[in-house]
Amino acid sequence: MQVSLTVNGNAVTQDVDTRTLLVNFLRENLRLTGTHVGCDTSQCGACVVHIDGKSVKSCTTLAVACEGASVTTIEGLAANGALHPMQEAFREHHGLQCGFCTPGMIMSAVDIVNRHGFDLDERTIREELEGNICRCTGYQNIVKAVSAGAKAMGGQGALKQAAE
Amino acid sequence: MKPMKFGVGQPMRRVEDAKFITGKGRYTSDAFPENCLVAGFLRSPHAHARFAIGDLADIRSMPGVKLVLTADDLAHLGSMPCLAPMGNSDGSSMELPRYPVLAEAVVRHVGDAIVMIVAETAEQVRDAIEATPIDFEILPAVVDMRAALAEGAVAVWPGAGGNLAYDNAIGDKAGADAVFAKAAHVVSLTVDNTRLVANYMEPRAGFAEIDEQGRFVLTTGSQGVHGLRDSLAASILKVPPEKIRLITPDVGGGFGTKAVMYREYPLLLEAAKRVAQPVGWVADRTEHFLGDAQGRDNHTTAEMALDADGRFLALRVDILGSLGAYLSQFGPFIPWLGATMATGAYDIPVLYARCRGVYTHTVPVDAYRGAGRPEAAYVLERLVDNCARQLRVKPDALRALNFIPVAKMPYKTQTDRTYDVGDFEGAMKRALEKADAAGFETRATDAQKRGMLRGLGFASYIECTAWGEGEDGIVRLEPDGTFTILVGTQSNGQGHATAYAQTASQYLDVPLDKIVVVQGDTDLVKTGNGTGGSRSIPVGSVMVSGASGKLVEQLKSLASEKLEAAVADLEVADGAIRISGTDRSINYADLAALPNATLEIRTGRDEYIPASATYPNGTHVCELEIDPETGVTTIERFTICDDFGMTLNPMLLAGQVHGGVAQGIGQALLENTVYSDDGQLLTATLMDYCLPRASDIPMIQFETRNIPSTTNPLGLKGAGEAGTIGSCPAVMNAVVDALYRARGVTHFDMPATPSRIAAVLNA
Repeated sequence: MQVSLTVNGNAVTQDVDTRTLLVNFLRENLRLTGTHVGCDTSQCGACVVHIDGKSVKSCTTLAVACEGASVTTIEGLAANGALHPMQEAFREHHGLQCGFCTPGMIMSAVDIVNRHGFDLDERTIREELEGNICRCTGYQNIVKAVSAGAKAMGGQGALKQAAE
Repeated sequence: MKPMKFGVGQPMRRVEDAKFITGKGRYTSDAFPENCLVAGFLRSPHAHARFAIGDLADIRSMPGVKLVLTADDLAHLGSMPCLAPMGNSDGSSMELPRYPVLAEAVVRHVGDAIVMIVAETAEQVRDAIEATPIDFEILPAVVDMRAALAEGAVAVWPGAGGNLAYDNAIGDKAGADAVFAKAAHVVSLTVDNTRLVANYMEPRAGFAEIDEQGRFVLTTGSQGVHGLRDSLAASILKVPPEKIRLITPDVGGGFGTKAVMYREYPLLLEAAKRVAQPVGWVADRTEHFLGDAQGRDNHTTAEMALDADGRFLALRVDILGSLGAYLSQFGPFIPWLGATMATGAYDIPVLYARCRGVYTHTVPVDAYRGAGRPEAAYVLERLVDNCARQLRVKPDALRALNFIPVAKMPYKTQTDRTYDVGDFEGAMKRALEKADAAGFETRATDAQKRGMLRGLGFASYIECTAWGEGEDGIVRLEPDGTFTILVGTQSNGQGHATAYAQTASQYLDVPLDKIVVVQGDTDLVKTGNGTGGSRSIPVGSVMVSGASGKLVEQLKSLASEKLEAAVADLEVADGAIRISGTDRSINYADLAALPNATLEIRTGRDEYIPASATYPNGTHVCELEIDPETGVTTIERFTICDDFGMTLNPMLLAGQVHGGVAQGIGQALLENTVYSDDGQLLTATLMDYCLPRASDIPMIQFETRNIPSTTNPLGLKGAGEAGTIGSCPAVMNAVVDALYRARGVTHFDMPATPSRIAAVLNA
């Protein structure tokens, strides 16, 4: 079945099996390997991408369901060579260790800011990260990174940019 | 150490992060070659069964199928190695049952691999696995260790002494018994240390190729390439090690469990050889639960003999450690390692610790973050709290009375370990002060008014890290003026590239991005002993430090001729060699371009073999509330004072502690690996096995009170596992404290899930 969509701003048209998951389409067909598969049961969130500006677990989304959609992966988050403020915040606050959950964390974090604004309290961040599991950091520095990244997004008016 | 611009002691940001935050990390499954075939495994659905595989001709001719392997095809291969067999207390050695690369006639745990199938796509592999004809004759299985040791229990292995894999002991049984017979107080405790699954976020994966020289090349996320290569060569493939190249790219977490040999590795190599094409495999999460070694799973009884004043006189410990159905690489040693830390931070004059390894029809058990040391600390710190309750003394006072005092350092334990330094009381006092333990009663009263059960618990742990093997490595000046470090440890996410670069920059004074750390390729790094036992900093950094120091001396001698100055007058400054007190210098690129700048003179080499382990220690304090209506436990405060000897990078160090604490909290409150009585694994996905989420973990207040280790030149103590070791008993002591205050409950086993808490509150 043919599917046409936009991935990180580029138009893509490919023939795929109807059973092909979006995550496999991204990783295998497009070789965008920043999106990861961690659990197969929608628990861990390593596969989170944005579809039309909203965070989605790409391991439970069919590629053909994305007909006409605009998909943003971690590879497409930095604009014009500059890191997204949330990416910068994860580095600055040591919000990652092994890095495997990080793409999904960052994509979820941007979505949290889009929904809750730039001034996030600790409780909101922790509750909103319910669908993203990290086994390395104990979440402490992820929470700090998301908080700082949200503030930085506010400072740069990046909310609009990320939602587009 | 002298403060340097990019040197040790500073929270330098990580050089590895740029790739990870942009999706450019390269984990094993990101790097499969274009023409890579896909492998999968038919795994046993039964815990114990005899099996017969039918005619495979139809399977071999299924669409896309390139290869089907069973044990019958693998007679030329050796078996999976156990590198840490134990002896028995009668002097005999334990038997080592054969752990074949694929199961032979009998399966011994759910997930036991029986058939390997290689095809063009993952879907074709799955179809072929489902179609494979196989008959199982289901046999009775044993899961519980005590049931496995009972008379008449079904044996996992025929011939061996029932399910008792080994029976060893340390200490003085008669001496301990004599003290117990006369002691004013005897306090006992029996606890389970739950079975855990490592659950690194990156499931294991690997791909195998045969290179143009005909060598086996395996790429897989490991904790060290050299050990795996050598085991593959010597024990399984039976080829010289130079016939194997092992590569480890980025690794998405290891926690001990990625350190060991797994069946998929030799099988992928065998398959790649047979089909003359690359063959790759990626575990799904359930395969991680079924196919990767699991952790912990001890059942332990411990007893303390005390005098009338509460002084510890003797300790008796009886450990049952489940080994699972097969002996994993280090399996038998793990509970024993715990036994060697049985007396912890206390001055206990007499010890008798018995340690038995037990076979059960479960997934093999091996090292998981702490590997024996969390089990030991858990038993001891729970027991000490029991002593305090029974003798009606404060737990901090009882600990202070019995800690090994600073004046007794170095201190030889009853397990023949020598603690070099440590101030256990100092760390405990500071942690309790920082946690405002003095204000706890007020907070507990307030909680009571709100209908909540508040508890405070703490644990004063000591552990051992970085023992045994060393590292032999290189720091090299490259022709372009940058540096390369070759080191045989393996980052799994800890940030080695940053930590080692920081160590080298202490000597070389260059920004960290001018230093490339190379790990994870047996062609590039000649030797190494991998990452495990919190050794990468206290061994690896000491080596890097030594090699960097030597390199600087060599570069000074090179510069001395050019600058026409005596070596003694030269110093490193601003990324160059300079004549002290002048502006005459030569930068590294110019130095490397000198005609006599040979590779040899540009290479600093050092080997560091630790003479002894290091002993990190400290106190974790946990304050929590239990909601009696729901049974939900919420950690309100978590405070740590640790002694790691020397802090190389405080940001990385805190990260290691935070992550370790989360795994300890996970074990205490959430995680548990559950088998049904007939050996079905009931927790085989992340829907059933509860990993900590962000809202389960509090902000952790962490500080160090470092006392440099005397066993290595930098004073370092390993920090990778300590968080896990201190946190779990601290949380459980707090849970028991809350339950005891409210309902007089004195015993509770992990995990403190809402249903288990509710059950005890409603009992």
